[in-house]
Amino acid sequence: MKNPATLPGRVLWNAFFWTYERATWQYDLMVIAILAFVWLTPPDWLGDPTAHGSGPIGWLLDRLR
Amino acid sequence: MTFTGLVGRICLFPLRAIIRACVVLQIHPNVLTFVGVLINFAAAWALALGRFVTAGFIMIVANIFDFIDGKVAVELGQVSEFGGFWDSVIDRFSDIALFIGLIYLYSHLGRTDYVMITSLAMMFSIMTSYTRARAESLIAKCKVGFMERPERIVLFMIGAFTNRMAGVLWVILVLSIFTVADRIILTYRELRTTGREAVV
Repeated sequence: MKNPATLPGRVLWNAFFWTYERATWQYDLMVIAILAFVWLTPPDWLGDPTAHGSGPIGWLLDRLR
Repeated sequence: MTFTGLVGRICLFPLRAIIRACVVLQIHPNVLTFVGVLINFAAAWALALGRFVTAGFIMIVANIFDFIDGKVAVELGQVSEFGGFWDSVIDRFSDIALFIGLIYLYSHLGRTDYVMITSLAMMFSIMTSYTRARAESLIAKCKVGFMERPERIVLFMIGAFTNRMAGVLWVILVLSIFTVADRIILTYRELRTTGREAVV
């Protein structure tokens, strides 16, 4: 599979065209990104039907205001 | 040792004892598979009622059965082609049941948007399995894409235990779309390389 020439392009392409096995550092990185999205995104931003509140990001933004 | 590798090793430790118990009791692996799907139906029911934590615990039990059936088959020397087929078919029922549980819940709450998101996530999850099965009838291997069944199940459990099901559904939907696309692209390129796509 032909990879894009630039580094950001390669990173994006490899994230999209996923060929890494489980228990590799790339897999760990993806898991961390997913967990960060699931746990840090305020439920209100997603219109979550069962969870409410602004979550950790909302809490942090409130503190910074 | 990676983080996910360590988690896998820790989880495998208690499972070894369960596998040993099933081997000693001579439980047929196909029975384990079937019991797994029945327990998954109970998890789907709990999701439908909005009892996420209960559903999470039931999913853990169901997926223990799902995980150990293949290992027990190897230990008992009962690996068969039908067993592999049966396992794949039953897995699809388990997958779909969990999504239907959520669709029921969201429609009961009057949330048409999440009924659609869950339905699309279900469609692409099924297509993830189908594209690989169909591709591997044409090419040697089609194991690309991140969002496979184990990832889906773990995400469902995380969503259930931490009440973050909306985020989980978005992740499953987007990454399942990528996985299906990856498999179509790989199959097309493999067939083009071997010059078989001209015949199709």
